[in-house]
Amino acid sequence: MSDPKIEGYQLKPGFSGMAADTGSDQTMFKGVHWGKAMMWIFLLSDTFVFSCFLISYMKGRGSTPVEWPNPSEVFALNAFGVPVPLLLIAIMTFVLITSSGTMALAVKYGYEKNRKMCGWLVLATAIGGLTFVGMQAFEWSKLIHEGVRPWENPFGAAQFGSFFFMITGFHGTHVSIGVIFLFIYAYKVFAGHYDERKRGWFTSMRGDYVEIEILGLYWHFVDLVWVFIFAFFYLW
Amino acid sequence: MHAGIIFFLVILGSILFHIFTPWYWTDIASNWGGMDDTITLTFWVGGGVFVAVCLFMIYCVFKFSYKENRKAEYKPEDKKLEKILTVATTLGVAALLAPGLIIWNQYVNVPKNAIHIDVMAWQWGWQYRLPGDDGKLGTTSVRNINDNNPFGINLDDPYGSDDILIVSDKINLKNNRPVKILLRSVDVLHNWYVPQFRAKMDAVPGTVTFYWFEPNKVGEYEVLCAEYCGVGHYAMRGMVEVQDENSYEEWRNEQETFESYVAKQKNIELEEKKLAKK
Amino acid sequence: MSDEINDNKTIQAQSSEVMTGGSAGATPDMDYVRPAEIPEQDLYHAHSFITKWVFCQDAKVIGVQYFLLATFTGIVGLILSWLMRLQLGFPGLAGFMTAEHYYQFVTMHGMIMVVYFLTALFLGGFGNYLIPLMVGARDMVFPYVNMLSFWMFFVAVAVLMASFFVPGGPTGAGWTLYPPQTILEGTPGSGMGILLMLISLSLFVIGFTMGGLNYMITVLQARTRGMTLMRMPLTVWGIFTATILAMLAFPALLVSAIMMTLDKVLGTSFFMPTILKAGEVLEYGGGSPILFQHLFWFFGHPEVYIVALPAFGIVSDLISVHARKNIFGYRMMVWAIVGIGALSFFVWAHHMYVSGMNPWFGFFFATTTLIIAVPTAMKVYNWILTLWRGNIRLNTVMLWCLGFIVTFVNGGITGIFLGNVSVDVPLSDTYFVIAHFHMVMGIAPLMVIMGAVYHWFPLVAGRFLDEKLGKWHFWLTFLGAYSIYFPMHYLGFIGVPRRYFEMYDSPYMTSAVGMNEFISTAAFIVGAAQFILIYNIIKTLKTGKAAPKNPWSANSLEWFTSTVPPGHGNFGDRLPVVHRWPYDFSVPGAKDDFIPQTTPPSEVVHTEVEKT
Repeated sequence: MSDPKIEGYQLKPGFSGMAADTGSDQTMFKGVHWGKAMMWIFLLSDTFVFSCFLISYMKGRGSTPVEWPNPSEVFALNAFGVPVPLLLIAIMTFVLITSSGTMALAVKYGYEKNRKMCGWLVLATAIGGLTFVGMQAFEWSKLIHEGVRPWENPFGAAQFGSFFFMITGFHGTHVSIGVIFLFIYAYKVFAGHYDERKRGWFTSMRGDYVEIEILGLYWHFVDLVWVFIFAFFYLW
Repeated sequence: MHAGIIFFLVILGSILFHIFTPWYWTDIASNWGGMDDTITLTFWVGGGVFVAVCLFMIYCVFKFSYKENRKAEYKPEDKKLEKILTVATTLGVAALLAPGLIIWNQYVNVPKNAIHIDVMAWQWGWQYRLPGDDGKLGTTSVRNINDNNPFGINLDDPYGSDDILIVSDKINLKNNRPVKILLRSVDVLHNWYVPQFRAKMDAVPGTVTFYWFEPNKVGEYEVLCAEYCGVGHYAMRGMVEVQDENSYEEWRNEQETFESYVAKQKNIELEEKKLAKK
Repeated sequence: MSDEINDNKTIQAQSSEVMTGGSAGATPDMDYVRPAEIPEQDLYHAHSFITKWVFCQDAKVIGVQYFLLATFTGIVGLILSWLMRLQLGFPGLAGFMTAEHYYQFVTMHGMIMVVYFLTALFLGGFGNYLIPLMVGARDMVFPYVNMLSFWMFFVAVAVLMASFFVPGGPTGAGWTLYPPQTILEGTPGSGMGILLMLISLSLFVIGFTMGGLNYMITVLQARTRGMTLMRMPLTVWGIFTATILAMLAFPALLVSAIMMTLDKVLGTSFFMPTILKAGEVLEYGGGSPILFQHLFWFFGHPEVYIVALPAFGIVSDLISVHARKNIFGYRMMVWAIVGIGALSFFVWAHHMYVSGMNPWFGFFFATTTLIIAVPTAMKVYNWILTLWRGNIRLNTVMLWCLGFIVTFVNGGITGIFLGNVSVDVPLSDTYFVIAHFHMVMGIAPLMVIMGAVYHWFPLVAGRFLDEKLGKWHFWLTFLGAYSIYFPMHYLGFIGVPRRYFEMYDSPYMTSAVGMNEFISTAAFIVGAAQFILIYNIIKTLKTGKAAPKNPWSANSLEWFTSTVPPGHGNFGDRLPVVHRWPYDFSVPGAKDDFIPQTTPPSEVVHTEVEKT
């Protein structure tokens, strides 16, 4: 994988290798599957989406005339009668990061054509993602119960609610879409679509285990974005 | 061939239009002559480049139009020529940028002796407020605005009570004295613009923006709103009158302060109540 | 003459050195091209009418679909501009024209022309049709996603057009959609109209992203053998770079559309400060209207180049082919496109000099803006230097290119006025701005589109468009458009503000009445002249002169398909192999005045061979 053999072409390491690849014919990223390249570029574009959200959030938080609520109080969870700051969020983050781990393993077993292990790990990732979405729904309903709304909140600046619901909601949508695809892919792995190189339902393109890696890229990205959201909303 | 002639006539027409145009700047009435000068400079440099490029193009059209037996020159690059053109263009652009930045530096640095004027905009109109004898404007808030307090002045601000209120779309300015226009809006974006003063800036709700100029020509000028603000945008006009010192002071002394405005409003209310009792 | 005999062997070396820095000269066998490293593309072959012409996965059909739908929106935009000019030139003539309607027409005209017409036409239309053909691919890399892209655009257009029929009508907030007025009473269409506009824009962004991924990966990963990046026609470079810009700029539009939708629907206050309206304080507070402007222009400025760069690329190819001369300074042209694209992300706030942002930004953005003038000027020099000592065919295509140079240089130079921060102060928000951007990103790209239509029509339809009608079309459009926008600058000098429904009786504005009448009349004529093209196309499809293969004697791959017009899969059994750049025109020593990209050095026919 990491060392594709290209006939009649010498892959060179380092910067000069990059320059040579750029100057060569046919492909710029040697041996990189089209779908993978597409996902990388899509993620670059998506990075700009989340950057715009987070920069707007910083600007909004910096310029609001009303004081910003204290995150460790707003996001505290009562465990055995004691308010523990960031408890729920710590679990959510842990679950999501763990699911990234299972995803990485799924990719490995996929390339080893280990249908069973790959399928179970994709399924585990999907369940991890589902757990995350579920906990996020719990957190949302808790905040809504406490009176936080997109247009107001009892703790301080109204923009807190606006940005929180919008950005976590947008991220949650990403996770949910990922979960749906993970379930579909788990089915496809178990059903042997990738081993048989069966054609896709809509695209009529032949299936391949590389699709697991492509979905993996997306999943890791969603995790990475969560780390930033976590830092900006809960730790700042 | 005809094509080249028509293109040439277009360029010639453009130059003649520029020379004989009846549509050009209004006479400037402020200190921002530098902006006009930079425009003129850009016009000559840019216009020169435009004419030169087009004439070169037209020359090529005449000289090198298709002939069966001619072969075009094969010359992929000319590094030297490209370098010369790059350097020349860079120098030209820098020469245009420099005066622009110098004037902008003046534009953002307001002179100390400028009279502050609070220009309040709404859909769709203007009103103005001048500092009282203490020389300072009271702070304001949109939420304070009501019939008794048309400018939303904070009542606990001691600077506010002697502010001079001009509940009208016409303001007077003192000739040869810089003014700092402090713009605020209670609803949407607006822009207080007098073409003869050349300067402008948006009024943004939620914040106060500013710019300055020094009127230097006595007369009356029309104020336009230069930022789209809804259906009434085109009708959002006002007036400015630039006066010499004596008539300006006379005008200023006739205006009402916030204190007397409030007192007067209260009297009106009392009288209305009396009338109602009767 | 004897010199040339010795020179024969250096023909290939000469041209390849320019492209690859001489590495081709080092290979022992000059015809050698590396074996294929990407497998043959697995294409879906459509059988039914629906999969062949409606939900089609062939990039060429998708390109034509994009072209037709974009043209339809363009005609709507054109009619809106007529209505606007009717009001400005002859106020009161149209009884139905209220200020509300006027502002709705202005807004929809702007948004349609910039996003739904020009962007969709250049990237969706020309991009889809030309990229796979020009880089020697069988199709876009993800044909299915590509098909979805068009239909998403279709839905976006449908939603946009639907806003004309909802209560309150379409939004009248100006195409910049500045809050707070956009979503408040007092602006026409502040209810359903603006909502549909925001939804439509979001759909457009999603649809475009699907297409954009295709264009980028096709260029990066699906070129044919021998096609290096520096052997790509400039058309592909322009569209490719524009696509990168779009992929990075549209996110800002999407985010601002989402935030504004929430402000409108849920009552959040992202862009909404405390507002007093009709004596009552609204339930908004604490938001920043300037934030929207930053997001909008972070999209909006690259958007200008999303329209301009494909035009730059296409016009370079047209000039080169029809001047029978290689494009002058190809490498400079490529780097200029890339450089302009990169710089365009650092200049956005030059639209906001008088917006009330921190005035110190003005220094930075004025400097970056004027730096962009340098690569742009280099491109202009290279276009006219390509004409120099060429063998110029003065056909309709070339006329459009010349018209482009005149309007683009004119509009580019007025850009130097507006980019130079303090010069912008008196001119911003006046008719000078309108004249500037219509000249530079309205008329100039339109000239290129028209040139491209006349140039590639023989490929798409297999017939030549009528030259005589084409010339009428050109002269009416060029002279008409120039006489609309050149004098309009002077209205800006007077100080006439833009977006004014009526001028009333201000003395310096009444002096403009005559000019406004003239401009409006010219606008009616120019608009009507566009229907000459439609007539020409219909007539040509019926009775036009059949075009042979490669009718313009061009070099790039799109002219070397197995059939004309090209079928599904573009090329025959074997993909073409590329040996040179697409600009080997009038190479000394070669018999023909063009050497196609597919001709290996050993097969170049020399003059001397012919003689003996």
